[in-house]
Amino acid sequence: MLHHSRIYILPTRRGLAVIATLFLMLLTSLNYALSLGLAVTFLLGGLVAATLLHTFRNLAGIEIKPLAASDAFAGSDIVFSLSLAAGSIDRRSVAISANGVTTTSAVTAGQLATVALAVPVPARGRIALGRVTLSSTYPLALWRGFAYVHFPLAGIAYPAPEPSPPPLPAGDYGFDARAQGRGDENDLAGLRDYQRGDPLQRVAWKAVARGAGWFSKAFEGTASGGPVALEWSKLPRELDTEARLSRLTAWVLAAERAARPFALALPASAFAAASDSEHRRRVLTALALYPESAG
Amino acid sequence: MTIAATLFGRDRASATLGATAAHADRLVPVQVASLGILLVAAQLPQAVYLPLWVGVLGVGLVLLRFALLRRERALRIRGEGPTRAANSAPLGGSEAAKRQAWGNHIPPWVLAAIAVAIAFLIRRQFGYFVGRDPCVAFLFVLLGIKFLEVRTLRDGTLLVCLAIFLLITPFFYNQSLLAGLAALPAVLATGGALEALAARDGQPLTARSVRRAWLRTATMIAQGLPIAAALFLLFPRLASPLWGLPADHAAATGLSDRMSPGSISELSLSDAVAFRVDFDGAPPPSRLRYWRGPVLSLFNGREWRALPPRAGGRLLEGEGRTVRYTVTLEPNDHPWLFALDFPSALPEIDTDGMRNAAGGLAGFSREQQLITRSPVTRRLRYTLTSLLVDRYPAASAFEMQQNARTPIGNPRTIDFARSLRERYPDDRRYIGAVLQWFHSEPFFYTLAPPLLEEGQPVDEFLFDTRRGFCEHFASAFVVLLRAAGIPARVVTGYQGGEINPRGGYLIVRQSDAHAWAEAVVDGRWQRFDPTAAVAPSRIERGLFGAVPAGDPVPLFAREDGGWLKSAQLMIDAINHQWQRNVIEFNRDRQRALWREWKLDRFAPWQMVVAVAAGVTAWGLAVLAWFAARRKRRERALTLWEEACRRLARSGLPRMEHEGPLAFADRASRRWPQFEIAFRAIGESFAMLRYGDLAKRDSERAALLATLERAIEALPRPSKLRAMT
Repeated sequence: MLHHSRIYILPTRRGLAVIATLFLMLLTSLNYALSLGLAVTFLLGGLVAATLLHTFRNLAGIEIKPLAASDAFAGSDIVFSLSLAAGSIDRRSVAISANGVTTTSAVTAGQLATVALAVPVPARGRIALGRVTLSSTYPLALWRGFAYVHFPLAGIAYPAPEPSPPPLPAGDYGFDARAQGRGDENDLAGLRDYQRGDPLQRVAWKAVARGAGWFSKAFEGTASGGPVALEWSKLPRELDTEARLSRLTAWVLAAERAARPFALALPASAFAAASDSEHRRRVLTALALYPESAG
Repeated sequence: MTIAATLFGRDRASATLGATAAHADRLVPVQVASLGILLVAAQLPQAVYLPLWVGVLGVGLVLLRFALLRRERALRIRGEGPTRAANSAPLGGSEAAKRQAWGNHIPPWVLAAIAVAIAFLIRRQFGYFVGRDPCVAFLFVLLGIKFLEVRTLRDGTLLVCLAIFLLITPFFYNQSLLAGLAALPAVLATGGALEALAARDGQPLTARSVRRAWLRTATMIAQGLPIAAALFLLFPRLASPLWGLPADHAAATGLSDRMSPGSISELSLSDAVAFRVDFDGAPPPSRLRYWRGPVLSLFNGREWRALPPRAGGRLLEGEGRTVRYTVTLEPNDHPWLFALDFPSALPEIDTDGMRNAAGGLAGFSREQQLITRSPVTRRLRYTLTSLLVDRYPAASAFEMQQNARTPIGNPRTIDFARSLRERYPDDRRYIGAVLQWFHSEPFFYTLAPPLLEEGQPVDEFLFDTRRGFCEHFASAFVVLLRAAGIPARVVTGYQGGEINPRGGYLIVRQSDAHAWAEAVVDGRWQRFDPTAAVAPSRIERGLFGAVPAGDPVPLFAREDGGWLKSAQLMIDAINHQWQRNVIEFNRDRQRALWREWKLDRFAPWQMVVAVAAGVTAWGLAVLAWFAARRKRRERALTLWEEACRRLARSGLPRMEHEGPLAFADRASRRWPQFEIAFRAIGESFAMLRYGDLAKRDSERAALLATLERAIEALPRPSKLRAMT
């Protein structure tokens, strides 16, 4: 929970233009001894000063909290979600920006708003949210108030999967070749009860929509799909590090689609075969952060 | 053409970048309309001081864009709007786009050419261009031209800046209370336009949205008022102008330093105020109110002229009634200060801080006239003391000789004077005889006398037409005296004036202009008013008393002006106060105020610190005001949280997603016997928190009371928990 104790306010370009005009009006009125001209100039000057307070007030007291960072593949967007609590007054057009991405939000008093910042990630790795800037030019865009907050919020950008990877490697298991031979996910075998950990892509959404309950699609070959071993050391020598990571990522996704457990062996770490989403996350994270052996 | 390029040049960003950049920056119709409202509000108070065609053109261009805007909207409703047209441009929507976005299709050079043409027309109208009035006129039209093609936010900002500058230009011509009030709509419209530029929410412009924007602006102006007032009182005024005041002033009305009786003067027909006077004590009666202006000594047979002023005036001392008064002189473009005959002290001029630059007193001429250093081009106040007598010592033998020369021409008058002089060798008796002659012969006072031929106007007036006003009588009188060898001259100025019963001050109008004479009798200049011999009521009761019924008389010179005149007097009284307290709050008055408040004892840095402290205090005060406004809302929240806490302790915690009404519902199902209390809590809290209905303070207070009582009505949590 963060309160804005440090809010900076600077004039916008429009604010500077208006202030310059007021200055010109001041000089003219002084020169020609126009008391009414001075009165109008100062009246507008008071307005400009008052908008500064409104700008300040629009930001002061906002509570911003980090919610989550989505995971994403390099080349797409990581979505950082933040929650914005208005507190006791309406907040109008507050811009939240980080990493060059800006989104604008308005929150009525007492309400919460969730703000999503979709930050494009060009390369794999840990992507920190970094410094978040809250700014607002409300009400007349003569002043821009802004404040910085830092959150220890980071998302993982997985390596971009290789576009058309070779088929999954044949495992050490005897039935693997057979499974791969016909284990194509296009051959729908039927529905079975949904179990925790089943991939979401397999949920029979039509059935859910009908209200029939939760089912997972079972594919031909699914039942017989044995574990796949994905090994760094068995990849062709000519591939460089990034290409290897891309291929491994693509295989992880393929194995997941085929609903087969997979194991991963990297030079510094190894993961036993499993097929749940937590396993998938750990494996992909290890690929993203390679050569770090985190995860 | 750099100015034209700045004003009309295409926005580089929108020209080079793709459509997205241009669109993000583009004004939506509601923004254009808000700008238009600001422009019209800023233009209308100025329009009355401009040549008719300039006013019509400037406002007309703005209205033209409004009309085009309506057409754009009609097109959009038909489905050919800008967004669709822009998106489907290659598919044939370009025709519609061309038609709707007409502002985008005027080449900048066309607008620049129009602007140059307008500049030439204005140059022709005024006779010059670099000066205040033509520049104001040009700015006025420029607003309209720029508005025709306003496209981007940047254009919008530029227009707002031009428009707010136009707010102060009417004050060049008029600083009355009315002029000040006329600027207020534009001040509010400034807020409306800035808000529209800032918001871009594309909500249609309705009377309601405009009213709300103006209301918000009014609130912010109210919050800024302390700053504005402090600046007005404390911001140092200039001791002298930064740049020379251009020599363009309204055509001088009123007195001049020459006079040729016989060519009808419009002077007497103007209701314009020449000056106003506040007397210390009771004002003297009308017959003693001779306000001295230029003294005309040179006569060429047709025209009277003043000698170049020469120093040598003497302040009068002696017996008689003295009166002290303050004159507020309207600009007259002449270096004259008007004084009651005759000053006994030099004036204290409230020179607007310009003692050294202009408007200061240059001297007291030997003709007893107060001369300033430069023409009075702005309102001036001065305080004087006069001795109300009708004679003063003559200056020198030379001066007397100069004023006793027999005039050129007008032989019949000269002959008549000589024959009369033979009968009355004594100066005093001769003058008396001349006045008696004016009185007894059939001379008529009229404001519409026949024109006199150029040759011998005095002859013609005295012996043929015998109709005229003060100039004719004064001129003829002086000629008669000079022909008899008596030093005499014409004095011009104002006579009488009207006491405004509201405020008790004297208004002297141009229609009170007068010409009288003075002659040397017993070694002193003595005032004679031949007009009084013909029409004594002119001196006692003003112009209206003197002219025959049926003659045209300016409205406010009439005695029977009725309600219109009484209303006018009231407005004049308000304006006079406004004038004294607002408009003439100049450097001297400001310094006086500072002295009164003992501000002059502080060093500049102390003042800066004090101002900084004051601004901080103001900011805190406004923020405290905000806080007070939301206190009610917070009180509601506190009560609601207390209710939730109590219910949670009774075993019914509110769920995160649950709104007040839903939670009250659930509580009612659990404890039906308290349904009414739960309903009251939920509904009053919802109204206080989210309701637009409870706007008025009284309603909110009632809802708060309900909320509070309903919570008190609930049993203690321990008891409630036990109930079912």
